Amino acid sequence: MMKNKASIVIIGGGVIGCSAAYNLSKRGLKDIVLVEKKFLASGATGRCGAGIRQQWGTRQNCFLAKKSMEIFENFRDYVDTKIDIELKQKGYLLLAYSDKEVDQFEKNIFIQHEYGIPSRILEPEESLEIVPFLNIEKLKAAAFCPTDGHANPFHVTAAYAEAAKKNGVTILKDTEVLGINKSKGRITGVETSKGLIETEKVLNAAGSWAREIGKMAGLDLPVFSERHEILVTEPVNSILDPMVMSFSYNIYCQQSPHGSFIMGYGPENEGHNHRINSSCNFLENMSKKATWLLPPLKKLRIVRQWAGSYNISPDKQPIVCESEELAGFYMAIGFSGHGFMLSPAIGIYLTDLILKEEPPFDITVDLGRFERRETISEPSVV
Amino acid sequence: MMKEDNIIVCRCEDVTLKDIRELIKRGYTNIEEIKRITRCGMGPCQGKNCGQIILREISMITGIPVEKLTLQRYRPPFGGIKFSEVLGENNDEK
Amino acid sequence: MIETDILVVGGGPAGISAALACGRNNIKTVLIEERDFLGGQLIKQTHRFFGSKEERAGSRGIRIAEDLMNEIKKNKNIDLYLDARALGYYEEEKIFTVLQNGRMLKFSPRKLIIATGAFEKSLSFENNDLPGIYGAGAVQTLMNIYGVKPAERVLMIGSGNIGLIVSYQLIQAGVQVVGVIEAAPEIGGYAVHASKIRRLGVPLYTSHTIKKAIGNEFVTGAEIIELDRNWNEIKGTEKKIDCDCICLSVGLSPLVDILSQSGCEMVYIPELGGEVPVRNENMQTSIDNIYVAGDLAGIEEATAAMLEGELAGLCAANTFINDVKQDERIEKIKNNLEVLRSGPKGSKIRSGLNKLIKGETFFQGGRNTGSEIEAFKKTGIPSGENLRSILPDEKRINETPFALIECFQEIPCDPCVNNCPFGAITEGTDINNLPKIDYSKCTGCGSCISRCPGLAIFLINKNYSENTSTVSMPYEMLPVPQKGEIVDVLDREGKKIVSGKVVKVLKNEKMDKTNVISVEIPKEFFNVARNIRLVK
Ligand SMILES: Cc1cc2nc3c(=O)[nH]c(=O)nc-3n(C[C@H](O)[C@H](O)[C@H](O)COP(=O)(O)OP(=O)(O)OC[C@H]3O[C@@H](n4cnc5c(N)ncnc54)[C@H](O)[C@@H]3O)c2cc1C
Ligand code: SF4
Ligand code: SF4
Repeated sequence: MMKNKASIVIIGGGVIGCSAAYNLSKRGLKDIVLVEKKFLASGATGRCGAGIRQQWGTRQNCFLAKKSMEIFENFRDYVDTKIDIELKQKGYLLLAYSDKEVDQFEKNIFIQHEYGIPSRILEPEESLEIVPFLNIEKLKAAAFCPTDGHANPFHVTAAYAEAAKKNGVTILKDTEVLGINKSKGRITGVETSKGLIETEKVLNAAGSWAREIGKMAGLDLPVFSERHEILVTEPVNSILDPMVMSFSYNIYCQQSPHGSFIMGYGPENEGHNHRINSSCNFLENMSKKATWLLPPLKKLRIVRQWAGSYNISPDKQPIVCESEELAGFYMAIGFSGHGFMLSPAIGIYLTDLILKEEPPFDITVDLGRFERRETISEPSVV
Repeated sequence: MMKEDNIIVCRCEDVTLKDIRELIKRGYTNIEEIKRITRCGMGPCQGKNCGQIILREISMITGIPVEKLTLQRYRPPFGGIKFSEVLGENNDEK
Repeated sequence: MIETDILVVGGGPAGISAALACGRNNIKTVLIEERDFLGGQLIKQTHRFFGSKEERAGSRGIRIAEDLMNEIKKNKNIDLYLDARALGYYEEEKIFTVLQNGRMLKFSPRKLIIATGAFEKSLSFENNDLPGIYGAGAVQTLMNIYGVKPAERVLMIGSGNIGLIVSYQLIQAGVQVVGVIEAAPEIGGYAVHASKIRRLGVPLYTSHTIKKAIGNEFVTGAEIIELDRNWNEIKGTEKKIDCDCICLSVGLSPLVDILSQSGCEMVYIPELGGEVPVRNENMQTSIDNIYVAGDLAGIEEATAAMLEGELAGLCAANTFINDVKQDERIEKIKNNLEVLRSGPKGSKIRSGLNKLIKGETFFQGGRNTGSEIEAFKKTGIPSGENLRSILPDEKRINETPFALIECFQEIPCDPCVNNCPFGAITEGTDINNLPKIDYSKCTGCGSCISRCPGLAIFLINKNYSENTSTVSMPYEMLPVPQKGEIVDVLDREGKKIVSGKVVKVLKNEKMDKTNVISVEIPKEFFNVARNIRLVK
């Protein structure tokens, strides 16, 4: 049955939409409807590297990431689920190739320690203790946090969604939002491919389609989408503990508990669009990069490549707020390459925002920051 | 009664018919969704064998004809390729 | 980066024909094939082809493959890459990647023709992962390419042409086929193929399915069960069959991975085998520079695949050469395809193509109901009525030897017509019609016997002696009996009726392993005796 009335319509069944749905329902909100045009985690969430990193360079990101990791660590109890999210905490090894980068890492670690994040600087040789086959040529230093890691994005999203359903949330898959109806400056309903849903509140969690959803409500949201490619290998015995990552060499690579290696890098000269096809260029570049850094990978077989969209804001940091132009229009967008890892904390923050309670934490993620020129300058992004 | 747990759907990842039917009943009715949650068909065969069976099961349980279901996606490189082969270094050392 | 005008993927009948169509027109063509030999399914087809003379019907698949391969090798415009596996097509960069000799090759073709064929469907039943359960393709490869006997006692699941032909090939290899199971109420493949294995004593279970495989470490048997009209299992009809191998031949699915990945529009059409690319009459997909041919465009058979291959090749090539002469050939091929598909056995493919090809209806005509008779479709054994309908009158029967054509199902086939030196056999204008003999013209020369791919023609000499008749029949088993040898004579179900003496063995190069054996039997059995078995 199509539900035709809702207290809020959440647009997007990615990890953000599902985390919000779960948290809102847990706090007692009734008649929540989540609308997803394809299936859960079919967008960036299901296409992402699913890394969870606490080694950030701004207080707010350190806080959000640490908070989220605590939830991931206790996911079964926190979300009341039987689903195993396949959390692996074997650390993130961040590689620095210039003195400037080393400097930055040291500054970051200082902040991270304020939040109890157990990171430390390693000499190149020390990093060999963590990844014995790492090519340390040109490496100046590394930063390592043993409690960083990654989890299975499908399982996390499914766990949130199933728990939300248990709390009474209606999840409509294969249902596309086509328009947002307004009257006298207020939202009155959401037009979907399966019919109209009356509501006064909307949460835009449409990932790479966030800008289009904004347009439906007459809003010009400052985000764009950009293709990021990724590939996976056949599963092999566990040989790589941490996620290995470098901002300057531009790579990330991890081995999942299932045994396959997942890796990608940030693209150059990508257009702003919704393209998510794979390229031969990526396959070749990725092969070069990965085997230079981790030579034993040469013998591994790549089994699939794909791509997903980063949704990017002007400061590459998320926008999570209610619109000032249109009351009842909430958004959680622009997560670039870190929406998965922040999703638990963002879900909580959104809940208080929507229930009009005191914000649980003091962070600057509103849309107004761009006008106020208070953008977040996070030094550690892919 | 058929012993559903004795019926293997995906040989690469050892997924049984029972696993698939349970997921469909839990509301996962898109083949891509099922593949991702179970890893069924995520091996080198990319679901050529199990894909058909999954589609048929979805159709049987939901009553939607297969023609109306979303079909699975395939991704390169088919059959897999080693990094060294991409790079043209065919001297498979060691 | 390797530049080429045309890249053809897949070296089966469709791909080879496509490459040749381009190569013959002086267009730079690359043909890639995953295995280390060309021919695809043709290599495994040791049986004779149905179809018309123009498409080389009556020849064995493997011979057709040899000829085509030689032409490919001789053609200077075609670069052949064997042992080369397609990895993917990157539409944005227009790069096609291929793995050969441990290296990734990059091609930049102006047009792509994908002809990757099909793969076998699998079936879910209990214990379906026991060793001893194989696909028919694997069994065929073991026997016909590697010369290995796959098992001792095989149960075949599926009575499509592949299931029937593989059963026959298994028996030729000395394997016992303990039964053929078919879920539908009638035989899937050509009834003449079914008749062949029935004459060898193989039971056929229509409206039956496999419930489970029996065995601990490997297959030792199977449990089968009868199905009602609605395909539901009928409780209490379970039967156990002993076997050491279960061979699955439950249909093929188009191998569409490259197309789907390239972004071609795809649809699911059950009549065509499942997911197929949307295409037009010229075999062009929704992506302008990608063409398709053969089984991946819809499951059919090798004759259609070769025609489609040539069609795709010419249409792709003609975008460069714009030759009117080619347009004529293109129309001719389209016409031949239509004729091939116009009979009752083509009704499935016609209905599939009508769903697939947008715009005006692809097929206007075509007959859906043939004149076949129910029992024959179920059992592969002609009924009394079938047999009466073909016998000449009493006078002619008693005069001189005459041919008897036991072909009761309308299929696109006519080698019998083309091979009678006296023009006694006719089919009219439609290749799907049943053959008819004009007994005033039939001299009893027997040339037609070994040319019929359905092994459906017999020669009767009613008054061989005062008390005996002879029946001359096609025989493809080994060893070949000697003249004078006493053999068991079998009926249409493979049951022994009497002993008989071999009075003639005809065997020559031109007959290509379909020998003709004449056996002497008491007169009363002239219309019953249809096979022989050697007595050790
Ligand atoms: C290659 C890659 C690697 C990444 N690696 C990491 C990483 O290691 N760690 C990390 O934390 N993050 C990573 N990310 C980022 C992360 O994936 C995203 O930030 C996060 O998934 C965003 O979640 P979301 O719910 O906002 O968006 P999505 O997951 O994209 O969900 C949005 C959903 O909205 C639906 N939708 C859109 N329009 C409509 C409409 N009109 N009607 C109905 N539904 C609609 C879409 O179908 C989609 O399912 C990576 C991203 C990519 C692409
Ligand atoms: S026996 Fe000879 S004459 Fe008679 S139909 Fe056959 S080929 Fe023709
Ligand atoms: S009798 Fe003629 S039409 Fe029938 S199978 Fe034989 S050759 Fe074909």
